[in-house]
Formats: sequence, structure tokens, C-alpha cells
Amino acid sequence: MNIGTVTVIGATGTMGANVAGIFASFGNAKVYCVGRDIEKVKRTIPRIVKSVRADAIARNLIPADFSMLGKCVSESDLIFESSIEDIQVKTEIAAVVGKAMKPHAVSGTGSSGLSIHAIAERYPKELRSRFFGIHMFNPPYTLNLCELTPTKYSDGRLKEELKEYLGGKLYRTVVEVKDSPAFLGNRIGFQFVNEALRYAEKYKDNGGIDYIDAILGSFTGRAMAPLATSDFVGLDVHKAIVDNIYENTQDYAHETFVFPRYADKLASDGKLGRKSGKGLYRLVRYDNGLKRQTVLDIDTGLYRDVIPYVFPFADKMKKYIAEGDYQKAFERLVNNHSQEADICLCFLLNYIVYSLYATKEVGHDITAADDVMAAGFNWCPPLAMYQALSTVTDVSVLIRENIPDVCEKIDIDGLLDEVKPSKYDYRPYFKSGR
Amino acid sequence: MSKVYILGGAQTDFERNWTKEGKGMAALLKEVMADGLEDAKLSFDDIKQLNKDNRVSCFVGNFIAEKYTEQGHLGAFLTEVDAAFYGVPSARYEAACASSSVAIDAAATKIRADEYDVAIVVGWELMKTVDSAVGGDFLGRAAYYDRESKGIALPFPKLFGKLADETLKKYSELDERRYLDALAQISVINFGNAKRNPLAQTRRWFMSYEQASARGTDTNPLVGGKLAVSDCSQVTDGAAVAVLCSEKFIAERGIKNKPIVKGYGHRVAPMLFEKKMGNNEGSAYILPWTRQAVLDAYGRSGMTVEDIDVFETHDCFTSSEYAAISAFGLTEPGKEYEAVESGLIAFDGKKPVNPSGGLIGCGHPVGASGARMFLDLYKQVTGTAGEYQTAGAKNALMLNIGGSATTNYVYIVGME
Repeated sequence: MNIGTVTVIGATGTMGANVAGIFASFGNAKVYCVGRDIEKVKRTIPRIVKSVRADAIARNLIPADFSMLGKCVSESDLIFESSIEDIQVKTEIAAVVGKAMKPHAVSGTGSSGLSIHAIAERYPKELRSRFFGIHMFNPPYTLNLCELTPTKYSDGRLKEELKEYLGGKLYRTVVEVKDSPAFLGNRIGFQFVNEALRYAEKYKDNGGIDYIDAILGSFTGRAMAPLATSDFVGLDVHKAIVDNIYENTQDYAHETFVFPRYADKLASDGKLGRKSGKGLYRLVRYDNGLKRQTVLDIDTGLYRDVIPYVFPFADKMKKYIAEGDYQKAFERLVNNHSQEADICLCFLLNYIVYSLYATKEVGHDITAADDVMAAGFNWCPPLAMYQALSTVTDVSVLIRENIPDVCEKIDIDGLLDEVKPSKYDYRPYFKSGR
Repeated sequence: MSKVYILGGAQTDFERNWTKEGKGMAALLKEVMADGLEDAKLSFDDIKQLNKDNRVSCFVGNFIAEKYTEQGHLGAFLTEVDAAFYGVPSARYEAACASSSVAIDAAATKIRADEYDVAIVVGWELMKTVDSAVGGDFLGRAAYYDRESKGIALPFPKLFGKLADETLKKYSELDERRYLDALAQISVINFGNAKRNPLAQTRRWFMSYEQASARGTDTNPLVGGKLAVSDCSQVTDGAAVAVLCSEKFIAERGIKNKPIVKGYGHRVAPMLFEKKMGNNEGSAYILPWTRQAVLDAYGRSGMTVEDIDVFETHDCFTSSEYAAISAFGLTEPGKEYEAVESGLIAFDGKKPVNPSGGLIGCGHPVGASGARMFLDLYKQVTGTAGEYQTAGAKNALMLNIGGSATTNYVYIVGME
């Protein structure tokens, strides 16, 4: 697949801009960056350059506005639409793109909130075979996951060529997924994060948000604790993802996708997280440069200092991880029966099981779950997590003993039969920190 | 005298930042030692057994942990890795960025002299414990600190920037544009090769000829004379293990198809960069002692450049890889650009250099780099380099330098 020119629609948005940078750098393509306001696009260019740390790509980035869209598209080999998640907007774009697109060109959407089939159907019939969902993660320079969604109309050979381009040329970890709400990475990741959000409420008298984050911190195989992650991506994004999954899927974990009311209130008050100054957490900055991390008290709605929790199991785990004694760390987790250790272990076991389950539904191969969680979230992937805990005990037994209610609802034997060694090393994911 | 066999080894993922992971040298060494021994098909119990008869020894390469991690006595530190190392003779070897090469040399010598049957080499450095300015000052101790580094920001980029200047001065017919183009291409080749190496630090990074040529921009600032960030190797956390053994051990265990160390060269040039340059006046080579170390290795192995299928070189800066090209004998001195322009040293060229990505692409945890290169030679000649395997590699050569090409170490590894 030879992609010399690309049009990115919605290039002033975070994803549009960052994906334009990927096409312009690794793809060395001329990229028409299309936005509503060309002045805003021009101001975005330096940000795109910075996103891939390469001034040399600036000459590949051509600002444009919607009046120029037809012309940009007519010159492009690939069109990437990254507009707002509104089917009306996407329909209007499809009308212009459909008219102007070269017959050999490929068209894709970065949408993760709408049905890819529904968007495909906004294109003229003869072009639907050339349309795909191309969902990248933010920031794509460091999280290189690309979920590729063909539709029933998609050309199979073209799909393979596109995979080769995305993987071989753009250095993406390409995972083919079905046209299922939120695809695979966010389905697994936000099941975990949303469950943590719900648990914060359940354990609000123990501290709530920071209590749960202290139980599921980076020592449990992730770069950032789950509620800090939600605060980082924004409660609006989080809510959109879980609402979409809740409304449009039906699986054993259905109720875990309910966005809790306290978080809904925060979102509707515009307290979205880091990007709006406060959300689940609030970083207070003083004039003298000092900073203080505070967290929402779910009951009062006020922010208080984050509590430096010391849980014996977590403390020991961190000490062992710092020394590279991973097995000893996992032994503490498995053999400590404090409330906190039990919550932590159950979350990790649920994560493994839900990943196996969701992969069957949304992916094509059991390793897809590993790829999406490593490349999209930088979390210890589920099969690697299985392997990590296997250094201590038989994980299938652990699952049956600790989360029997989940096991009852699904064909746990069938799922566990599919477990195989991960190609990922679990060790780097377990960090000794909060 | 025993032949020196290589049983295998391992390197850590050079993308990792161990400080960010909240882990220190104990964790680093535990991981790399476990992986290295597993690859060499040795267990900690094997080490215990061998040690009962005083048949195993350890050789630690590290430049300057005293600064980066406040830790000395690094040979003894292996006892923290596993109790199997209690009683095992072990010491630390230092020669700046060539530290683990001198550890390999000591290990190989003990095997050759039939003193031990298994020699475990581990090179390591944790460099991300401090910021780049502080780290740059630490590294200044690989030069003559008082005269070349003290109070100077980033002394090494400046020294290798001077090497670039001196190269242009020495070869007066060499066009500056052509030279800088070749350096940019060297950077691009290394970054490109790193993309095939699953343990390379920069495997996800973007680099292009245009970017490498855009020296002096915000994203590629000048750091030493004509050299920019794209001409530099990386600041890296990492470790590498290589396990050597004797003929006796090979026979005892019925091990097959393992390569041997065929030759080595070790030469030390004047410490001060200025003296180094003064010292090359009678030579066609800009770094005559580097060239001599290569010649010594060819002499000891009875080989020539014709016999070498693949190279790993010390591209701490593009200017040092450039000088290495003629030192290897791939071109005449002063004509190194030919090997770049013709594609000779490219991954699919006739004489690939740094299929691993080298210090620029794979990364440069200084005390580990020699062992990492040595392990890469092993991988290439045993056909186990995976995606970065070069075609038909039978014999491979590495050049590891310390300081401003002060310590020069060369190894040739190949199948019997």
C-alpha cells in the first residue's frame, strides 16, 4: 500500500492532531490537516511537530479548512476522519469524502463511540469496501495500539494491505477487532476502571477514591492507578465509553459498566479531571510553587488531602518489587487476607477473566487482549498477569476460589483452556510506587 | 590453552527506566542474571555445584555506579542476586564505556588458562537516577576530568564534536556537507535497525534523514560542535550477561554449535583528546590505536575484514562510528562515506554494522555496552537474533571504546 498523501479531518482535536503526526512522521506522508478554522489548524501544527519530536515533519503538514476538504480528499490516498462523535457530522463529512475520494484511496474513521457499520453506510455503496475503523490511543507516539475494524463491506485484501501499512510503516501494534462498542482495549480497560470507580463508592467510608487507588496502584502492574487514569483521561471520556458499552452490549459484567451517580454529578458540573483542574482529584497549586494533591470525598463532595495509606500487603509487595523479588511480592498478595489484599487480588483475577471473555467476543485471537492492554494502556497484559501469579500458585484454582460468582456466570473452563504463555514479560509492569 | 566458548546470555529491555519503576541494581541484576543463565541453560544449582570445585567465576563490568547509585564493591554485590553466588570469585572491572569488555577479557583469559570452566560476565549501568546534566558530568570522568570535563556542560558531546572537526581537518578533500550527510545517514541506519530489535531503547522513536539533517532545530539541537542530538547515543538503564565456558565444559555436557572467541584486540590511546590527535599525525587513521586494536584482533584470529560478516560498533556518536568504518578496513581512511553511501553497512548491505541499532538505536548503558555487543555477536553467529538477524553471519566483530576512543577493545566471535 502506497500512501503518499493523507487527509486528516478534525486535525485540531487531540487525536486528529496526534494521528496527523504519525502519518507525517513514520508514514512520511503529505498530510492535509483539515479543521473548521484554518487559523486554529495553523496554531496546531507546532503541537503536532512536538508530538513526534521532529521539526522535519513540519513541511509534511498542510493546514486546510472544510471549504478545501473536497480538494484535499481528491488528492489523498488515505482519508482519516477524526471529527466529533456525532453521526450527523460524520454523515456530512462522508458526503464530501464520498464524492471526492479517488477510487483507489482508503478511508477510515477514528471513531470509538459509534458503530463503524453505521458510518460505513453513510458512504456511497461502491466505496464502502474501502472503509475501516482505525482506532488509535492517546498519545499514539507512546501508546502505539491501533484497533482495526473492518465492516461486512470491507475488502479482505485491502484490509491485509492496510494492516501491513499500519504495522510495517507506521509501527502500530495492529489488532483486528469486531465492530463492537468501544472495541477491545477500552472494553477491558474501562471495565476495570469503572469497577474501581464503583468500588470507591462502596468503600467510601474507608476513604473511597484514594483508598481504591492505593489498593490498585502501579505495584499491581500498571503505570497509573485506575482512578488517577480516569481523572487523567477525563470523566466525560470515561462516561462516554462506559455508557456506550452499557447501552449496547450485554454480558456477565454488564452492571460493572454503570457509571456511578457521584461521578455523573462531577461530570455534569464540569469537574472532568486534570483537564478542568478538578475531578476525582484536585491538584492545588500555591503561589510559592508548592503543590498539594487532594481528592474528592464522595459523601461531602469536598476535596481533602490524599491519605498516605499503608497496607501491609501493599507495602511488602512494593518492597519486594523494588528488589526484583516478584514471586515473593505475588506470594504476599495471594496469601494476605486483609480486606485490601482481597480486593486487589479479585480485581486482578477479574481482569484476567474479563479479558479472556471480551477477547472472544470482540477480538479474533486470545493474544489480542494482551496486545491491546500492553500497547493501549501500558498495563500488565492479562496473559502476562496470569503468568505472574502462576509463579505462586495455580491461577485457575485461584480464580475459582476467589471469584466464584463470576465463574458461575460463564464457561470458565472453556476460557481457561485458552490461556497460553504471554509474549510479554510481566516484570516491567510491576512498579514499586504508589 | 582452552578455547573460549560462548554459551549464551541476555540483555534487559533498554527501554526500561528502572528509577521510574522504583527498582535498583539488585532488581536489575536479579532479572538479567536469571535470564542470562536460563539462556545459557545453567541453573543456580549448577553454579553451586561448579563452585564446590572452584570452577566458576564472575566478572562485573560497570563504569561508575559510585556516582549513579552510590554503590561500590560491585563484584561482591552479586551475592545479593542469589545465594548461589556465595563463595564464587567475583570482581568488578572498569574502563569507562569499555568496562564490560575488560570484564570479558578477564573472563576469557581465565578460561583460556584453564583456571575456571564457566565465567559469567555481567555488564550494567543505571543512568536514569540523575538528570542529563548531572549524568553528563559523571561521564566526564571517562576523560581527563580536571582538564577536559570539570565545569563543562556535556563534555562528551563536545569531545566527539571535536572528533568531527578533526576528521574534516585531517582529510582535507572530505567535503563537509558530504561528511555531515554520512553522519546523518549513520544515525538513521542505527535508529532504523533498532526498530527490528525488541529490546532496543528507541524502537518506538521516530527518526528520518530529514530530521537527522535538521541540526540546530528545537527538536534536534546542537550539542557539541557540528553534532546534534540525533548524532548522540542514548542515556540508558540496562544490563547484559554473557556466559563463557571452557572446552572441557562443552565436552562434559555434550554441548553443540556454540561459537568461540576467535580473537581480540586491546589498545589504549593517550587520555587527553588533544594528545590523541597529536599522536595521529604520522598515521592515515584519525584514531590509530583504534585501528591497531582491530588489526590485533584480525592478527590473533588469523582473519581479515573479508572474513567478517557483521559488525557491532561503538557509535557513542555518529563521528565515532564514522571513524570505525576505516578502522575495520571497510574503506580507506578518509573515504568512510563510501561505505555509508553505497549501502555497504546498511542492514541488508554486504557488511552490516550495528544490526542491533548500536548505542544510538539500542541504547548505551555505558558499563553494559561491551557485554551487550558481545551478546549480539553471539546472537548473530548462532542465528538467534530474530528480526534483526543478518543473512549468513558466521563471523562477527565488535568494537567497544572507553573515553574519547582511549580504551579500544575488539572481539571477533564466530562458529568453529
